[in-house]
Amino acid sequence: MTASAVSALPESLDSNAVARLSRDEPAWLRTLRSSWWRRVEADPWPSSAAEEWRRTKLDDLPRDGALLTDPPRATYEVDSALAEQGVVFTDLASAVREHPDLVQSHLGRRETIIPQGSIWARSLAAWTGGTFLYVPRGVEVDGPLMARTELPAGDYTYLPHTLVVLEPEARVTLLEEISSPDGASTWFGGTAELVVGPGARLRYANLQRLGDGAWRIGAQRTEVGQDADVITLNAEVGSLVSKMGLDLRMSGKGGTSKLLGLLAAGGKQMIDINSCQDLLGSHTTSDLLYLSALYDEAHAAFYGVTRVRPDAKQTSSYQECRNLLLSPKAGAEPIPVLEIETNDILRCGHGATAGAIDPVQRFYAQSRGLSADEAEQMIVRGFFERVVAQIDSEPIKARILDALASRIGYAELDGIAA
Amino acid sequence: MTDQLEIRDLEVSIGSKQILKGLSLTVKVGEVHALMGPNGSGKTSLAYTLMGHPDYRVDAGSVSWRGEDLLNKKMTPDRRAQAGLFLAFQYPSAIPGVTVASFLRNIYNAIHHPKVAAAVASDGAMPKYTGIPLAKFRKLMEEKMALLQMDPAVAARYVNDGFSGGEKKRLEMLQMAILNPTMAILDETDSGLDIDALRAVAEGINATLSPEMGVLMITHYQRILNYVKPQFVHVMLDGRIVMSGGEELSHQLEANGYDWVREQVGLPAGIGDEVSEPVAEHV
Repeated sequence: MTASAVSALPESLDSNAVARLSRDEPAWLRTLRSSWWRRVEADPWPSSAAEEWRRTKLDDLPRDGALLTDPPRATYEVDSALAEQGVVFTDLASAVREHPDLVQSHLGRRETIIPQGSIWARSLAAWTGGTFLYVPRGVEVDGPLMARTELPAGDYTYLPHTLVVLEPEARVTLLEEISSPDGASTWFGGTAELVVGPGARLRYANLQRLGDGAWRIGAQRTEVGQDADVITLNAEVGSLVSKMGLDLRMSGKGGTSKLLGLLAAGGKQMIDINSCQDLLGSHTTSDLLYLSALYDEAHAAFYGVTRVRPDAKQTSSYQECRNLLLSPKAGAEPIPVLEIETNDILRCGHGATAGAIDPVQRFYAQSRGLSADEAEQMIVRGFFERVVAQIDSEPIKARILDALASRIGYAELDGIAA
Repeated sequence: MTDQLEIRDLEVSIGSKQILKGLSLTVKVGEVHALMGPNGSGKTSLAYTLMGHPDYRVDAGSVSWRGEDLLNKKMTPDRRAQAGLFLAFQYPSAIPGVTVASFLRNIYNAIHHPKVAAAVASDGAMPKYTGIPLAKFRKLMEEKMALLQMDPAVAARYVNDGFSGGEKKRLEMLQMAILNPTMAILDETDSGLDIDALRAVAEGINATLSPEMGVLMITHYQRILNYVKPQFVHVMLDGRIVMSGGEELSHQLEANGYDWVREQVGLPAGIGDEVSEPVAEHV
């Protein structure tokens, strides 16, 4: 972190700061930023009166850090053949310069769910980084794309925004990975918007490896078009506090989505997720599976709403949240809510558990020569497999297992039976 | 040191209930012992105690293996396994998400490459893996699976997850064959098996048996003893061994039942024949 990057905006975020960000930007973006900033000023800061914010208090959020205006840029690699077909994979600021029309037609056009409204607005007003990925109609990107960002140390505020747009019948797999050093009181307020057109297929993984003092307050909005097929995975390994709002809109008829999560937390970490699976289109399928392994005094909260709209006939949806408590002081609070506004559904359900490892299972593994720690590591790794097995990109799976190993102490079972 | 498992006057309880009430038994390496008894006589409790299950409290007596005190606190279940003990569970646990092949390779390394296991435990993240080479292990596993007439596809399934009773018992025998212990305790390995599965499992036991291995075979029934011949047969009632003999004792039992034993040793009928034993195992 260079001193100048932070000192460019020494004071907290305000309208002047946002205006300064826009100084050299096109007029449409200046207008866009300022309109989202007005939303920031109009919308209340998240209140613990709201169900979604009851478990994470923002009183201690490090709000005074200067805005990180010169963030490190991830390496964006996309082969030239894809570039010629119109695939754009770069950082958002570069995309504004190089593909202004494309960005203008998609950036900041939509709201998210109310609980994350003010987080969303802040990021759209004051983003200084983030990924832009555009895949034109019918283009299939074979290998996974990766955007890995290592943030500098420092008590700054960083509010990147990622925008992923898949035109009809496009296919792509993307990993976004964010990491930062331990010990800094960083406010990381990253948001992402994933727009998946009709018949398109998206695999999106977000790997969070922030340092142990970081607050991750984020939002993710996913819109699934007709017959589109989407899997998103949030792997949360780092940070002190992580609060994520998942806004999933099954708007097109016949779309399919899975929201997957892998959470591994220790120390005094708090991971709090609120999700809204909004089934708007008929014949849509949406399953959510979040698995957490909680050590020490770590806590996980999960408030999940499934909403089946009156016109969403013949839908199938499920939310499942499993928590493995590896210490008597760890805790989990899964709260599923189903709001079903039609009688014509195929399935709508939920399942939630929180509990320790079965001692018989541990004894069984230990009786085969594994130490108590090794037995636990193996059981936890196995517990995660239901989600890990659904990552079909080997390089992404390797990144995520590597991150999880730093917490669960068990990397890979070598896959000899694959 | 003596090459034997020696149990002397063992008293064990779980919670406030005494299960083993002064049990003595010696099994030498190279010998096959059958331990027979009705439900609730304490057979499984003995097996769990020998393997170090934390819920079983030893109140009195001693257990040594090759001269080493197994009741020493340091002898956790994994240390006992590394010392050559093996317990085939009556109700093996499932480990969802962990494939049979991965599990087997990990436990093989834990037993036969304990230094690797120690490195994993101490530094946590991704140690350099120096256990048995993959190809060599795969060959070993395939060999032993063929011996037990197991479907090779089992290797890719999760450990005991959704397995039938027979599949679970075969997997126990596969683990025994791969780990090659020097003292195997088989807890009702024959129960719940149809005749074909019983024969396959028994053949697996026989193929694994060697003069370097002792066996304590716990069973209700005589039928597995038609395939695996014991030199010694013991009858357990109410937490003690009340009668010992040669192979012929199992036939006498089969013919006359446990009430005959009670009569012989002067116990009233039904004593030591409770319906359930308070074991820590949950099916």
